[in-house]
Amino acid sequence: MPKTQVICPKESRKAGEITFKPIPINQYKSDYKKEEKKYGTARLVKMYYDMLVIREFETMLNQIKVQGSYQGMEYNHPGPAHLSIGQEAAAVGQSVHLDTDDYIFGSHRSHGEIMAKCLSAISKLDDGKLTTIMEEFFDGATLNAVKDGSHENVKDLAEDFILYGTLAEIFARDTGINRGLGGSMHAFFIPFGSMPNNALVGGSADISVGSAMNKLINRKPGIVIANIGDASMGCGPVFEGIWMAAMDQYVELWDKEFGHPPVLINIMNNQYGMGGQTVGETMSYKFAARIGAGINSNQMHAERVDGYNPLAVADATERQKKILLDGQGPALLDVITYRMSGHSPSDASSYRSKEEMELWEEADCVRAFGEYLISNGAITEADAEAMKTKITSKVIKAMKLATDESVSPYSDINLIETVMYSNGKVEKFDDREPELLEKLEDNARVKKLKRKQRYAYDADGKPYKANQLYTFRDGIFEAMAHRFTTDPTMIAYGEENRDWGGAFACYNGLTELLPYHRLFNSPISEGAIVGTACGYALSGGRVCVELMYCDFMGRAGDEIFNQISKWQSMSAGILKMPLVLRVSIGNKYGAQHSQDWTAMVNHIPGLKVYYPATTNDAKGMLNLALAGTDPVIFLESQKTYGVGELFEKGGVPEGYFETEEGEPAVRTQGKDLTLVTLGPVLYSGMKVVDEMKEKYGMDVELIDLRFVNPLNYDKIVESVKKTGRIVLASDAVERGSAMHNIAANITNLCFDYLDAPPVVIGAKNWISPAAEMETDYFPQASWIIDAVHERIVPLPGHVVEHNYTNGEIQRIARLGV
Amino acid sequence: MATEILLPRQGQSVESCIIIEWKVNEGDVVTEGQTLCEVETDKATFEVEATASGTVLGIFYPADSDVEVLKVIAAIGEPGEDVSALRPADEEAPVAAVPVVVEEQVKTAPVVATAEAGKTTGISPRAKTLAVQKGVDTSTLAGTGPNGRVIERDVSTAQAVTPTAQAKAAAEGLAIPSAGTGMGGRVISADLVSVAPEAIGAAVALLDFPGNATEIPVKGVRKVVAGRMLASLQNTAQLTLNTSADARSVLGYRSKCKAAPEEAGVGGISINDVVLYATVKTLAEFPELNAHYLGSKIVNFGNIHLGFAVDTPRGLMVPVIRYANLMTLKQLSAETKRLAMACIEGMIEPDALSGGTFTVTNLGAAGIESFTPVLNAPEVGILGVCAIQPKPVMNGAEIEFIPHMGLSFTFDHCAADGAPAARFLVSLKTKLAAFELTLAG
Repeated sequence: MPKTQVICPKESRKAGEITFKPIPINQYKSDYKKEEKKYGTARLVKMYYDMLVIREFETMLNQIKVQGSYQGMEYNHPGPAHLSIGQEAAAVGQSVHLDTDDYIFGSHRSHGEIMAKCLSAISKLDDGKLTTIMEEFFDGATLNAVKDGSHENVKDLAEDFILYGTLAEIFARDTGINRGLGGSMHAFFIPFGSMPNNALVGGSADISVGSAMNKLINRKPGIVIANIGDASMGCGPVFEGIWMAAMDQYVELWDKEFGHPPVLINIMNNQYGMGGQTVGETMSYKFAARIGAGINSNQMHAERVDGYNPLAVADATERQKKILLDGQGPALLDVITYRMSGHSPSDASSYRSKEEMELWEEADCVRAFGEYLISNGAITEADAEAMKTKITSKVIKAMKLATDESVSPYSDINLIETVMYSNGKVEKFDDREPELLEKLEDNARVKKLKRKQRYAYDADGKPYKANQLYTFRDGIFEAMAHRFTTDPTMIAYGEENRDWGGAFACYNGLTELLPYHRLFNSPISEGAIVGTACGYALSGGRVCVELMYCDFMGRAGDEIFNQISKWQSMSAGILKMPLVLRVSIGNKYGAQHSQDWTAMVNHIPGLKVYYPATTNDAKGMLNLALAGTDPVIFLESQKTYGVGELFEKGGVPEGYFETEEGEPAVRTQGKDLTLVTLGPVLYSGMKVVDEMKEKYGMDVELIDLRFVNPLNYDKIVESVKKTGRIVLASDAVERGSAMHNIAANITNLCFDYLDAPPVVIGAKNWISPAAEMETDYFPQASWIIDAVHERIVPLPGHVVEHNYTNGEIQRIARLGV
Repeated sequence: MATEILLPRQGQSVESCIIIEWKVNEGDVVTEGQTLCEVETDKATFEVEATASGTVLGIFYPADSDVEVLKVIAAIGEPGEDVSALRPADEEAPVAAVPVVVEEQVKTAPVVATAEAGKTTGISPRAKTLAVQKGVDTSTLAGTGPNGRVIERDVSTAQAVTPTAQAKAAAEGLAIPSAGTGMGGRVISADLVSVAPEAIGAAVALLDFPGNATEIPVKGVRKVVAGRMLASLQNTAQLTLNTSADARSVLGYRSKCKAAPEEAGVGGISINDVVLYATVKTLAEFPELNAHYLGSKIVNFGNIHLGFAVDTPRGLMVPVIRYANLMTLKQLSAETKRLAMACIEGMIEPDALSGGTFTVTNLGAAGIESFTPVLNAPEVGILGVCAIQPKPVMNGAEIEFIPHMGLSFTFDHCAADGAPAARFLVSLKTKLAAFELTLAG
């Protein structure tokens, strides 16, 4: 909604028609003379060699899975092996024109792509660089396993390095390329441009787009390819990612130098999604290349390519790469191929006919390309046999080493704990000057904030008026502005992040401060908002994205639960995830806009979960999150955006400061009851403090949790040892609330000190009602007191409004409400 | 193949141990070194550790079993392994079925009770802890928590009465006053108020007869002590001589030790240490008392291995200071402390509880003026040390009150006669009365 773009009814209502350009299908024409001239015989033969390597590597895995042995060596591999036998030409052809700066992301079926990309990189890198890469990778742990002095040269060694490193990874060995924590479906090797492969169908699409955004915004060389299957076109987040890459604003609103993110959506079209046949059964496009036509006027430069001819794929990838580097992306290729192996070893091929499989075997891309080279005199039959013999011996060697526990010990299970978080502190991910449109001190909001009261009460203890206050949203603004002016790689986006100033006015003023490429609006694509941020962060850059309502996390489920949370640990700490996901928790807007889902993110290993309730913490905790290297779910309640600072008497500091991670804050001291609150319930808690004192003479110790994970229990334990009584309250529905988790831990830690079981107060286990009825739905101060009376210590003369009896616990559980 | 867990031999003389408590259940996953159970010999308590990691497949003796050492008491292995071959033939209880059933009953009982009666009379963990500290019998309290639960405030406002006072009040029909003079206002026996004589009958009639009583099985240390004491009295001709020693020198020396600079390392030397030291020096002159009477023969020992009685939560223990005759006072003091502490903590090695040639038992701190120590047979002598009290002594025409330490010496007339026993006491008195000379010599 930029004001510079006018939507004119005359234009909008004008008659006309949309025209499409024809979409090329398999237009590549083989011409050996031309090909030899372009590539040289040696490069053509190397392509064949690479295809043979992949074929033998996967044949070995297939035999291990199916027969339990390969070349007389027995081995049991209980994990997955999704093979791509038959797809070698598509993988090798793609990598021919790629450099190490060009990234490929892939799927669960990407062994071949890893091999193709790494073998291509090995042939392009000089020996010195190759040696350094191998020696520095995990301090030479992988290299030392294969280096035995037998190698002809560095490239020969590097080939064994990647064959062994990948196999050791598949077999969960500590010497694998991700120390055995990634495994078959997640392995990757960044130094050669092979980026994370993803076990979620289509999972790599939006991550690749984010990685391409990182290249675009930080002006890094290279393109990014998302290798995803034909069936992934059925996944919403794939389309979300495509929209994210195709947005008009890159050319309409951003500085002219940028263009679109250089990303190629490369559909490895093997005709099946597991057993579902995409053409004729589960999809309708007939040609996946058709999809490009629906995205933008250049139709994503989409075409179908014969993926059984490596030179056709190389040609198409080369042309797309040029288009992408020219800022004309995103591009799309529909690479026709066929998986001769099953989806997995358990696949009985009940969904396809023997005849069909025989047809493709006759067309086998590896054999066909070998015959092409022989018939054109590039190699002899004997050369081909010699190559196969050499490759088989390399694969045997890799397997021997990878299954030898003395060389390749299993990865230590305790390693995982150490890589769940990187716990880093990074001021900036690049040294260049952060790009700003104005000096921070000249920013209108910055000037306005100078006049605000950073503590809510005047010297006489009288509260300032709302419009005089420095509020929670100002704390968010200051933390964002600080990191934007410190780290040049820091970007922020989401729905309504720019001109609107964020749906809740936290970003007012940032539009004036920042160029488009650092703060922009995204499509309504929650999956891709988080997914692209994941790709941006793991490619080395800081990003803060936003979901306007916590309820919308449902739209970004995979990206939050499987992607941003897992990549640091699945990469054995190679990847960092400096990503803050700001999530606003609503109310008054009914059942799909009022949910606190802290429990869900608390449940997922690998996420940090912060939930500030005060203005001081809004700034201090966001500063902390934006300086770290871990994915932080940063929850903010819309109930608190307008509050001033009620606790820090010195007011919210004007300078930079960080809240200590994992530390709850004791807001009032008391000896009779510990009340732990999360988020805005802090303010109901303050009412409880007053009422318990006035009516019942009881002193309540009020603790603002602030952090759900990580969490230091010391202060809570100390408090409970003193009071013997604890209530934990949050706005989340009571069933499965994260507070139950904390209550259970407190029961363990303080059992002998408890005078009653910990009591958890939450919202009703229902949909949230209309705004007018919310006080009967969200926890109120009176509910907390009722619960104390019913479950902890009867209060003289107290009349309950709310039923907190044991019978009620059983009743609502029985009914599931 | 599952790993057998043997009941280890704890000291040479130990033939069997009582399993006090299992810390694991069948089916639990344990790691090597983890405590499996606590066992008790006649002298001390030990923990049996897992010698392998895995799942506890079998627990072959329930708690409270008396098990011969080196028997297989449990097996650890992979789930599903058959351990029936490892099960000892004499095993007491079938496959730990007993603890499992008990546990299930415990689990389901409160739920049923709640549902049926609609009122629990539970007690909060915090209240329970406080009750123990305060000595409050929570069974007498009416809980004011939710559903009648006894909570902290019920205990903190409850009247604390010592168990002795409670028993006395019940037995004698005495009234319990609202506040007592014991620690923290606890009502002690002295605080009990007599009920008017004519009201006693009525007061007693209201009480359950005979009131609270607890059955404690005689086992472990208690059982051993009981057996030995009875055997001692049945099998020896013991008698006790009483006297007292001028304690001024001992008290003076003790004050000097206390006042000495810390680096001297003598601040910890107690009166008991001094008495032990003087005893060792005296015994050296009376080898016939540093002896064992074995019926057909008497063994006189060339060295003095001095036993001393220690009061522990588990009962009386007598650790032995080996080669006490070779030690300086400082060494003797340190060794005494180490052994006493080990006994109190239940960590004493069984071998340190045997082999004594003479024993000293000290009830002085309790104000005992004289008593008849029971011989730790087959030892021939045991010295009882009593309280230090002023004693009038004629000094010319004047009467002077001089602090004296009571000494009660029991000896076995089978092995020694009264005269040498008396001479032993005279020599000991001299050594105590001029302790610094004793120390010098």
